[in-house]
Amino acid sequence: MNIYLRELRANLKSLIIWSVIIILLVVIAVTKFAAYADNPEMLAILDAYPKALLDALNMHAFNLTTLNGFLGVMFLYYALMGAIAAGLWGSGALAREERNKTIEFALALPITRTRFLTAKALAALTLSALFVLITWMTTLVAIQSYQPDESVYAFLAREMMAMFAIEVIFLAIGLLVASVSKRPKRTGAMVTGVILTLYYVSMIAGLHEKLDFLKYLSPFKYFDAAKLLHEGRVDPVYWALTAGIVVCSLVGAYWAFHRRDIFV
Amino acid sequence: MPVIETRQLTKYYGKARGIVDVSLQVEEGEIFGFIGPNGAGKTTTIRLLLGLIFPTRGEARIFGKDAIKDGPEIRRHIGYLPSEVFYYEGMKVIDLLKYAASFYPGDHTKRLHELAEYMELDLHRKIEDLSYGNRKKVGIVQGLLHRPKLVFLDEPTLGLDPLMQRKFFDLIREENARGVTVFFSSHILGEVQRLCQRVGIIKEGQLIEVSDIRTLQQNNYKRIYVAAREIPSGYFDRPGVTNLEAVNGGVRFFYKGDIDAIVARISALDLIDVTIEEPTLEEIFMHYYE
Repeated sequence: MNIYLRELRANLKSLIIWSVIIILLVVIAVTKFAAYADNPEMLAILDAYPKALLDALNMHAFNLTTLNGFLGVMFLYYALMGAIAAGLWGSGALAREERNKTIEFALALPITRTRFLTAKALAALTLSALFVLITWMTTLVAIQSYQPDESVYAFLAREMMAMFAIEVIFLAIGLLVASVSKRPKRTGAMVTGVILTLYYVSMIAGLHEKLDFLKYLSPFKYFDAAKLLHEGRVDPVYWALTAGIVVCSLVGAYWAFHRRDIFV
Repeated sequence: MPVIETRQLTKYYGKARGIVDVSLQVEEGEIFGFIGPNGAGKTTTIRLLLGLIFPTRGEARIFGKDAIKDGPEIRRHIGYLPSEVFYYEGMKVIDLLKYAASFYPGDHTKRLHELAEYMELDLHRKIEDLSYGNRKKVGIVQGLLHRPKLVFLDEPTLGLDPLMQRKFFDLIREENARGVTVFFSSHILGEVQRLCQRVGIIKEGQLIEVSDIRTLQQNNYKRIYVAAREIPSGYFDRPGVTNLEAVNGGVRFFYKGDIDAIVARISALDLIDVTIEEPTLEEIFMHYYE
């Protein structure tokens, strides 16, 4: 419990920073949305954009003059920010202690490595959940003036669930990278690199039929906002993939951490 | 049953040598000195014993239990003062110490305050504002507050001023008198000599000698200084004599061998002055590292 609370406290500042970023993002986006809302002329302008661009940004599937369309586009940012935040919380849990050389102190205490890693992982999970809640609240407040109906609330709830799932994936990957990596100073950059690469992969995946297989490669594609809106659910294949990635990453992380030599 | 027992304990970092085939025993209640220059493998040995790193081969047992498998249980009774202490910078000293104490069963508040007062440690400052020496004091309090049965000290006096060093040594002696076993790693021989009963000498990852500190001094070399009216050249060229040098009116050398023979040889001279001393650990040590 102490390790968990310490980890939460150590990351409080980072959670606040991420929250400020998401709040700013939502405020700016809603301000822009004011120009689109119920404005058919905007649709005409958008139609003039190259199709490939709209595909890449996943804007094709949405009617940007509606709240659902707005939320669909916002999800691109929510997913990316959630992924990076959670990835850094996951990897930072170990990498920070190694960078600051406090890990020797921590592991010379009478605790098992399992307990140490589990407490850290749960703290990162808590932060991820809080980040989703903050995003959720902020969005709810921001869209109030546009009279959201039931379908908007339901869609937003599905998006938030998807955001959390993406966070869990990258949190687990972050833990794995930090447990395996020999260079704690580079871990954060590595995790961010992986996330951005997968993010681009998810964009490319929509561009051409031949690239369709890429959708299995990138977790961002598993939770496609357009499908969340129109089908209202996530394909079980993707749930299975999500579970697979998370379980494999965690098993790998515990396995590697139990064999990891601690130097400072 | 020895408190620490290692058998062929070996650690390679990839291809780089850590320690090789270190087999040693430390008995309950002794202060065991572990000496060697930087990079000889002292810290590697301690980290292996603490389960921070894993042996390439060989095994280590502490309190008769496996150092890796039973690590968490063993560490309840271990205090560790690393050569450089690193704590969570943003925390206050008192919070850090309470945090550390919370992992050991029982209430350690009283002991914590006793030790802090003794080491003149200000509990209400932040770790990040502390000097190197003050951090070391936090380390000392943290390492001892749960009344461990075995204490690892890795270059413990680094950063402590002489006054604090003395207080610290007194503290360690006090703990030892209560039955605490101490594993004292250092490259400063003087302090090992002052504190330890037995020493192990480690060189390039290998334990080259373990012996009683008295034996090490007595059975090895004598440092002899002889001043006489006349010393014929080559008079002391005999087996067992080394490092012969002429110094103001006499000669100085190390001798290892039959003490009666050398004394007879010396007394045949027309003597002015003689001293026969035990060498310092430093001198013995240099011999091992030649």
